[in-house]
Amino acid sequence: MKLLRSDIYENLRMALSTLLANKLRSFLTVFGVVIGVITVMLIASIISGIDVSVKKEVESFGTRSIFISKFSPGIHVGRRSREERMRKELSYDDAIALSNLPAVELSVPFLDITNNFFGQKLLVSGGGKTTAGVALQGTLPEFERAGTQVVSEGRFFTQSEEDTKQDVCVIGSKVADDFFKFGSPVGQTIKIGSDEFRVVGTLQKREQFLISGGSDDQNNVIYLPFSVAKKLKPNADDIYILAVGRSGQMDEAKDQVRDLLRVRRQVSFAAPDNFGMETAESILDNFRSITAGLAIAMVVISSVGLMVGGIGVMNIMLVSVTERTREIGVRKAIGAKRSDIMWQFLIEAATLTGIGGVVGLSIGWLSTFLLRLLLPSYVPLWAPIGGFVASVGIGLIFGLWPAWKAARLDPIESLRYE
Amino acid sequence: MSDVTLATLPIEAALQQAQVNGQHRPTSLISMRDIWKTYQMGTEEVHALHGVSFDVNKGEYIAIIGPSGSGKSTLMNLIGCLDTPSKGDYWLNGKNVSEMDDDELARIRNQEVGFVFQTFNLLARATALHNVELPLIYGGIGSTQRHEMATQALKAVDLSDRVTHRPNELSGGQRQRVAIARALVNHPSILLADEPTGALDTHTSKEIMDLFERLHSEGNTIIVVTHEHDIAARAHRILSIRDGLIEKDEKIK
Ligand SMILES: Nc1ncnc2c1ncn2[C@@H]1O[C@H](COP(=O)(O)OP(=O)(O)OP(=O)(O)O)[C@@H](O)[C@H]1O
Ligand SMILES: [Mg+2]
Repeated sequence: MKLLRSDIYENLRMALSTLLANKLRSFLTVFGVVIGVITVMLIASIISGIDVSVKKEVESFGTRSIFISKFSPGIHVGRRSREERMRKELSYDDAIALSNLPAVELSVPFLDITNNFFGQKLLVSGGGKTTAGVALQGTLPEFERAGTQVVSEGRFFTQSEEDTKQDVCVIGSKVADDFFKFGSPVGQTIKIGSDEFRVVGTLQKREQFLISGGSDDQNNVIYLPFSVAKKLKPNADDIYILAVGRSGQMDEAKDQVRDLLRVRRQVSFAAPDNFGMETAESILDNFRSITAGLAIAMVVISSVGLMVGGIGVMNIMLVSVTERTREIGVRKAIGAKRSDIMWQFLIEAATLTGIGGVVGLSIGWLSTFLLRLLLPSYVPLWAPIGGFVASVGIGLIFGLWPAWKAARLDPIESLRYE
Repeated sequence: MSDVTLATLPIEAALQQAQVNGQHRPTSLISMRDIWKTYQMGTEEVHALHGVSFDVNKGEYIAIIGPSGSGKSTLMNLIGCLDTPSKGDYWLNGKNVSEMDDDELARIRNQEVGFVFQTFNLLARATALHNVELPLIYGGIGSTQRHEMATQALKAVDLSDRVTHRPNELSGGQRQRVAIARALVNHPSILLADEPTGALDTHTSKEIMDLFERLHSEGNTIIVVTHEHDIAARAHRILSIRDGLIEKDEKIK
C-alpha cells in the first residue's frame, strides 16, 4: 500500500533519468557496488569449486580412514624441524598392532619403493613401453577391504601370495592405460627394475581433481605384496599406515590409534605426538580454513566496494534532493506525505545501486565461465541473490539520510526555493 | 449595499466566534479566528498576519486583493494548509486544522484543497496526464481509476488533445489549465489560486478566469488572490488585505 502510493514506476523512471543525466557521476557511484558484487560472485564460485573438490577428496579418502605417517599432514613449507627429521619410521609391526585395536576394523602398512636405494625412480616397463615415476607401494591384501580402491578386473593379491612372496601386482587405471592400451592387462607381465611381475588385477579409475593432481596421480600406481616390496628394496623403511575405524566408532578408533602409537613410539606424557594422523574430518578442517579465509576476503572486498558505492549514492542523492527541492515542494503541496517523499528517494537510491548490482552480477557471471577453465565450480544460488539484495540494501541504507532530508522539507520553503 | 454587508459582519463573526468558544463546530466551510503569522527575522518579529478572522461558505467565489507584501500569499498558504498559523484557530469543513499533525495536513492538501500557483509548479519531466495523476497517486487511487479521473479532469479544462505533452511543450495558459486540472482532480472542497494569471497575457488570463467562472457555476468554492481589479470584479466577494489585516470584506454580487 505504501509502495503503491509512492508510485514505484514513476520513481524507477526518475531514477533512470537521473542516472542517464549524470553518466559519469552515476558510473562512479555504482562502480563500487559493481566491484563488490563481482567479488561475491567470483569468490562464491571459487568456494563452491573447493567444496566440490573436498567432497571428492573425502569420498576417495574414505570417511572411516585414518592415514598415519611420520610427519603431520598438510602442506609443508621449508625445512622440517630437527625433531621432525629425527623421528623414527613407522613399522610393519605398528600396523599389525593397530589392527588388533577394538575400534579398528583393519590396518595395513604401505612401503613406498618408488625410489631405489640411490633415490632414483625405479624403471617400470610393460607392453613394450618403459617409464619412471609410477608409484610403487607394497601393502597387505586386507587393503582391498578398506574400500578406497576397487578392483575393476581380475583380483587383488592374496595372503598366500604375500606369505610366499609371489611376484604379482595390482595396477592403477593409468598404468593399465599407459602400458596395455589394447587388450586386458590381467595376466600380462610388468617389469619393475629387473624383476618381472604378473598383473593379477586392475583398479577402477579414481576421480582426479586439481588439489591432488600432478605427479602423484592416484591412478599411476602399482600395488605389490608388502613382503615382495621389502625383498625388492631391503633397506626401505618409508612406511605409512592406513587404519580403518569401525563404523560409528571413529572417535574411539582415533583415540585408540593415537594412544597405542604414543606408547609404541615412546612419547612422554606431556609431549606432542611424534607422528601425524589424517582423517576425512581433518581434511575437511584444512579446506574449511581455506574457504573461511576466502569467505573473509569476499566479505572484506565486497564490503569496501559496497561502502564506496553507498557513500557515492548518498552523495548523488543529497545533490539530487537539493536540485529537486521545488519538485519536493510541489509534491508536498498536492498531498505527498513525508513517508511518500521518503520512499520516493529511497527507491531512487535503491534503483541506482540495484542497477550497479545487476551490472556486477552480469560481469561476475561471465567471469565465472573463465574461472571454470581453472577450477570445476558453479555459482551457488545465494551469491546472485545475496549480491543483489546487498546492493539494493546499500541503496536503501545510504539513501536514508538524503531521503529523510527530503521528507523533512517544509512545503512553502521548498516551493520558494530557486 | 456593501455598507450593509460590512455593518452586519461583526455580528455574524461574533456569533460564530461564540459557537467556536462553546466547542460547537463552525458550520461554514472555512472558519478562521484571530489568525496570526509571525516570522522571526533575527531579533525582529515580522507579523505577516495579525489577527485575521473570516468565514467562507460553500459555493462562494472570493477574491483577495491588497498591496504587495500585505499578507495575501501568507493567508492563502494557511488556507491551503501549506503552512500553519503561529496563533489562532482554523476550521476547515468542521475540522480544526491548527491541531493536525503532518500526515493529516498532507491528507487535507490532497483531498480538501486544490492549489493553483502563479508559476504553475508542474513536474517538468512528467506528461500533463501524469501531472494530473499525482494527487491521485498520493490519494492511494489505483492506476485504472486514476487514469480515468485524470483524463476526465483534463477534458474539463479542454486539454484532451494535450494529454501526453510535457510542460515545456505547452503554452503558459495550457500549463495553468493542467495545474487547474491537477487541483480539481480529487474533487476538493475549495480551489485556491494565488495570482493564477500573474504569469499570463491578458487574453490567456481571460480564458483562465472564464474557466474559474465556469467551475464556480458548477458548484466549486473558489478563492483567488489577484492584483488586477477586473479579475477581482468577477468574484462575488472581495477581501481587501492591508498590513496583515482584513481591511474590507464586501459582497459584490
Ligand atoms: N519566510 C518569510 N520570512 C520572513 N518574512 C516573510 C516570509 N514570508 C513572507 N514574509 C513577509 O510577510 C509579509 C507578507 O508576505 P506575502 O508573501 O504574504 O505578501 P503578498 O501579499 O503575497 O505580496 P505579493 O502581492 O507581492 O505577492 C511580507 O512582508 C513578507 O516580507
Ligand atoms: Mg503573494
